[in-house]
Amino acid sequence: MIQSTDSPVVAYARERRFSPATLERWLRLAVEDREALLQLAVRLRLGENHFRDVLDLTEDIAAHQETTLHAVLASEAVTAVLGRGLGRNEMLKQLKDALRRERYPQLAATEAALADLVKELRLPPGVRVTFPENLEGDTVTVTLQAASPDELRARTRALAALIEQSRIDELFRLLGGGW
Amino acid sequence: MNRFAPDEVWIERSEWDTAVAATVRARVGAAPVRVFDDGRPPEPPTFADGKRRLIVQRHSGSFLRSCPAGTGKLVCCNYLVVNFASNCPFDCSYCFLQEYLANNPALKVFTNVGDGLAEIDAVVRAHPERTFRIGTGELADSLALDPLTALSRQLVPFAAARPNLVLELKTKSDCVDELLGLEANGRVVVSWSMNTPAIIQRHEPGTASFSERLAAADRVQRAGYRVGFHFDPLVAGDDWEREYPAAAERLLARVDAAALAWISFGSLRLSPRLAAIMRARGTGRDLLATELVAGADGKARAWHGLRSRMYRTMVEKIRARAPGVPIYLCMEPGSVWERVMSEVPSDRMLGMRLAAGAGW
Repeated sequence: MIQSTDSPVVAYARERRFSPATLERWLRLAVEDREALLQLAVRLRLGENHFRDVLDLTEDIAAHQETTLHAVLASEAVTAVLGRGLGRNEMLKQLKDALRRERYPQLAATEAALADLVKELRLPPGVRVTFPENLEGDTVTVTLQAASPDELRARTRALAALIEQSRIDELFRLLGGGW
Repeated sequence: MNRFAPDEVWIERSEWDTAVAATVRARVGAAPVRVFDDGRPPEPPTFADGKRRLIVQRHSGSFLRSCPAGTGKLVCCNYLVVNFASNCPFDCSYCFLQEYLANNPALKVFTNVGDGLAEIDAVVRAHPERTFRIGTGELADSLALDPLTALSRQLVPFAAARPNLVLELKTKSDCVDELLGLEANGRVVVSWSMNTPAIIQRHEPGTASFSERLAAADRVQRAGYRVGFHFDPLVAGDDWEREYPAAAERLLARVDAAALAWISFGSLRLSPRLAAIMRARGTGRDLLATELVAGADGKARAWHGLRSRMYRTMVEKIRARAPGVPIYLCMEPGSVWERVMSEVPSDRMLGMRLAAGAGW
């Protein structure tokens, strides 16, 4: 049932044309959680998809940390982003990144370690290393771009030398869960 | 654990005098027994309500089919499932039946068991060169209803008489009394879905505790059965690295490794719809919050490296204590098999290996 205390939430959801399911989910939250989300939604002008992403992440973090949704939104990880004076789009991106790091601590740590390793590899120009989305897989994709036969040969040689580094073994070890 | 006692029993009128219906009537105790005619008895209002009302009826479709876990993208063990019941009296937080039986949640046992056995018989007779692994624990718990139906009194002698059949009775219960006096002739594996004691207590309400499952396994093993264990779902909670190896340790300390037919591992996997149902029901909130990401089949699992690490941890634990025990992974792609088991068996090879290792 929609009550008068819900009216700012309802007004926001209606203005943004949220689906009834999303609104109902929002209204099912405890009052403090509802309000904290409203403040965030207003500040970042969240559309339904972004709102749902933030809600999913925040609820999962709260469940895992056995805390409340508004406590998650008041945590340092979140307030640090909100206090950075960024533009709306960049702030939203950084907020979701921060929430994702909280939501997936081991995955985020592994992604960060892989990114560090790739940096240490000092890839030659035109070479890119990418990993599966959410590290769901064990395949590393190496992309090599060249604009001429000579460039292709030079970059292939540089890549071949690089592949002999032990960091490559470490990279696959991390991708496989550290074994 | 408490034996399942339904709130009421509904029996299809034409099936009243069948062996299954008669056994249920004799054993059900105080619950009211009602009759329904053609069609269905009243639908339960909720999924949980469906588990409190036992329907005894004839099954009109086929009983036997391939295990639905097998898909083209995953290594499959060529398992067959036979459904003598539909739904389960337990209500585990993560159970796929919440989604699979969402529109048909009544707890049913089927009366025409002979038809199902005839289907199995036809298949095993047609391929005497092959050993079939067939289980009754896909859409139901194999033994939780046995105190009411005594179905195992029909199934065990049937399997015992067929040299190219291995029947698996998979359960989260400790309802093994009916099995103890039967001669399985090495053709029946009694297996338990296992988890850590904490997960069992929190997410598998009404089931036997970890200790009760081990005690039941000990009893059937002493009665001459081989036993199996399925650590499925492995949950990537904060304490998995301590809790799961400890659970494996306790299991191996209690069970005779020579009697182990197999141990399998599978990680928690949730389709988007199942996850939505769990959110709506408010069950397993902490499970949803573990590090699950979408896999190639659309189901969310612990991400590849994390679950590979969980599997490796468990496989190494088991191998150290029981090196000869067949181990397999359920619903995993070749890349995880390669990482964990250092091989990617073909479906046929895996099925043959498990069947060969299952008999005494």
